[in-house]
Amino acid sequence: MDHLSTALNHAQSLGAEYADIRIQKTTRETIFLMDLSLKNTSMNIEHGYGIRVMKNGAWGFAHSNVFATDEVKKTVEKAVKVAELSARIKKGKGLVLAHERGYIDSYSTKIQIDPFKVPLSEKVDLMLEVNKTLLNYAKIKRAFFMLDIYNDDKFFASTLGSVIHSNTYYINPMISATAVNEKDSQSRSFDEGGYGAGWEHVLKMNLVQKAVQIAEEAIMKLEADEPGEIRRRDLILDPNHLGLTMHESVGHPTELDRVLKWEADYAGVSFATPEKLKKYRYGSEIVNFVGDNTLSFGLATAGYDDDGVPGQKWYIIKDGILNEYGTTRDTAPFIGENMSRGCSRATYYYDFPINRIPNLYLEPGKKPLSPQELIADTEDGIYIEGRGSFSIDQHRVNFQFGGDMFWEIKNGKKVRPLKDVLYKSSNPEFWNSCDAICDDRYWKDFGVTNCGKGQPPQTARMTHGAATARFKKIRVGGSK
Amino acid sequence: MMNKQFEKAAKFIEKNCTADDFSLFLYRSDETATRYAQNMITQNMTGVKYGVRLNVAYGSKTGTSRINSLDETELKRMIETAQNIAKLNKPDPEFVPSSSKAKIPKTANMSENTVKFSMDGMVDIIKKTVDNAEKKKAFVSGIVTKTVSESYLKTKNGFEGSDSSTSFENSMTLADNKTREAKVERSVKDVNDYSIKKEIEQLNSRFDALTEPKKIEAGQYNVILRPQAVINYFSFLLYFMDRKNADYGVTAFHDSIGKNMFGKNFSLISNLDEKDLTAAAFSGDGIAARNVDWIKNGVVKELFTNRSYAAKIKAQPNFIPNVIIRGGNATEQEMMKKVKNGLIINNFWYIRTVSLRKNEVTGLTRDGIYYFENGKIKHSVNNLRFNEVLHNAAKNILLLGKEDNIAASTKVPTMLIKDFTFADTTSF
Repeated sequence: MDHLSTALNHAQSLGAEYADIRIQKTTRETIFLMDLSLKNTSMNIEHGYGIRVMKNGAWGFAHSNVFATDEVKKTVEKAVKVAELSARIKKGKGLVLAHERGYIDSYSTKIQIDPFKVPLSEKVDLMLEVNKTLLNYAKIKRAFFMLDIYNDDKFFASTLGSVIHSNTYYINPMISATAVNEKDSQSRSFDEGGYGAGWEHVLKMNLVQKAVQIAEEAIMKLEADEPGEIRRRDLILDPNHLGLTMHESVGHPTELDRVLKWEADYAGVSFATPEKLKKYRYGSEIVNFVGDNTLSFGLATAGYDDDGVPGQKWYIIKDGILNEYGTTRDTAPFIGENMSRGCSRATYYYDFPINRIPNLYLEPGKKPLSPQELIADTEDGIYIEGRGSFSIDQHRVNFQFGGDMFWEIKNGKKVRPLKDVLYKSSNPEFWNSCDAICDDRYWKDFGVTNCGKGQPPQTARMTHGAATARFKKIRVGGSK
Repeated sequence: MMNKQFEKAAKFIEKNCTADDFSLFLYRSDETATRYAQNMITQNMTGVKYGVRLNVAYGSKTGTSRINSLDETELKRMIETAQNIAKLNKPDPEFVPSSSKAKIPKTANMSENTVKFSMDGMVDIIKKTVDNAEKKKAFVSGIVTKTVSESYLKTKNGFEGSDSSTSFENSMTLADNKTREAKVERSVKDVNDYSIKKEIEQLNSRFDALTEPKKIEAGQYNVILRPQAVINYFSFLLYFMDRKNADYGVTAFHDSIGKNMFGKNFSLISNLDEKDLTAAAFSGDGIAARNVDWIKNGVVKELFTNRSYAAKIKAQPNFIPNVIIRGGNATEQEMMKKVKNGLIINNFWYIRTVSLRKNEVTGLTRDGIYYFENGKIKHSVNNLRFNEVLHNAAKNILLLGKEDNIAASTKVPTMLIKDFTFADTTSF
């Protein structure tokens, strides 16, 4: 705790208008099994602190892994010098931070079984059993299992008086099988993304049974037909698939830093510009997207963001209309907002916090509706499970998305599997074509643990969620 | 000369590690990155990062631990963690012992000019780009990065190597409030080889050539791919050319060695003798760098083979120390005259795999796309989505330009390719 006060006092003595320090220890256990070979069984730690100061309306940031008073002071001095240099190139009086107050608080992910304390043999035995199950099928030639266990232990303090401790966890088992015959290779995966919980989450999954399913479906895809020429059909998309669809076509376009063109050189900008707020019809009337950094199992939930702003819940799309953005303290003032929505996050201690997608989900439909009823109500369509081949332009308008498993629907029935299906659509066509969303019994989360953005690049995490939904008359077919 | 901190840490680990086998990798990176957007600096950061990775083995049971500190208490904990993992782990049927002593090629990846280059100098470069943008009533966004890094690898079986490198990089996108958006990016070993004047001239040339885009539809077009588009597209080969996946029939490279899959105009190589390129001297798992013809005049010569699979099939392991796609002498003017019409593509974006077995990827154009006809650029067009098979595009190369050092360890040419497949149009 001494380092916190040393950093903040020293920054203020050097003329900082605002300063914060983030002491962060990230521990990650990774076990990677390829076929039956343990390619990597590792425990990785990144431990250090980042000091951010604002001086003369500009940011400066410096980091170190040496925990000593002199080094903390030197790091502050570097950050102040960097801010002074940054202030040479600014607009007007420079950056302004949205209003916030100080908090003294703590937050922990609710876990029942600490995943780091589960014996290695229990984890590896399970993984080997899953891969053996996959490789029992002669046509499965490659079997992949990655177990990712993650903990962030973080102290944040700022010159606003905040002292916040957060201790967050996620766990993510990912399985993939590749089937091969003379003409083709096809993969099928089980990947629900990360989940804010302990080992108890893995115990509920029945991964061996999942392995049987994905092996059989990978083999089924080998013999399946391609979808033929591109034509308009109805799409029924499962929650896992919709997780990445909403991430790319709703999450990123509503990050305010992209809207402000701060990401123009790499990740891109956004079509969802401020004059469209409260007016633009992003989707049909049943489409409601919620930003929710209070979600208990959410990967973006840490009590507070890296600006020291509390987690919040708000509508990003309300009744189909663009309602609000995800914002940070340094972006919100550019659109006249005096409070941030708390979307500032850095990956490791040495990363500068940037505007990130919050936990973001599609609200379930209000009327009782099951996926089976939705299929029964569809004359000519394709049902897509899982994710594959996602690509979207840098303005977040035009996209082509694939999937992991595909079923042709004719006259209300799943009639045959398909492979190599791609659909092409755009904003606002896609979300306006949404005419049915299943009810909350079928709502399912999906955690993203590798959202790439920023320069230098960072990978953030957040949770999405949806119930199975239908999209009318979307262009769907093969690659050409 | 080896970093003294590394030497001390290595001795400590060697002394305290009791496993049958070990491989130790040490890394230090001093990085300053100044980011700017909309004509102002939005993010500016500096600091030193360390990495220490220890792989150990008892028999064929392995364990790895990684930390970011050279402190001896932390190192001791790291050794214990790696050893405990290995002791508790299951045997690895594909285990190979750590690398033995090898002749590591000499590389020249370091520039004192870059080491001495100050943060003030980086901000000066940004000031010039912002001044240029303001003169053009436009907005510039990008990042200037300077990195000085050192690495060291030592194994129980006698492999020992160290390497130092520098990199200076500037990436800038110039855009107006309408549709014009152009980008240039370049990284060099020696900051004195970087000319902000030349880069701004190239950026302005691309930006000024942009007009209100005319609508074009999907279809097959002749394309002139500029170097950034070439590397972003063909770099997917670096993911697809794995030897084991090829042998198992997962990728299009199944049974491909010795066959002309890419056409005579396409060669992808790694070459340590190219004086203007940097090259990694060794891989993180202890493979000494060597020259490799991956694809020579269209013929697949060698696929990426890691140490364990190389041991299994009794092949020489390899890795990619640098990337060269061989060029020619054609100018863009000559390319535009070679075909009746076509598109000039500055860059591609969001490229993803469509089919491993077909060698097909998808992505979109970005940072300016121009229509040319009868040897002249006529106007800009809207962006397009491509779905194209890598070896089909390579077979359709008509002309190659001079190789351009777009990054310190990468050089590729401009290419004229006929009948490149665009599967969809876009709205801008």
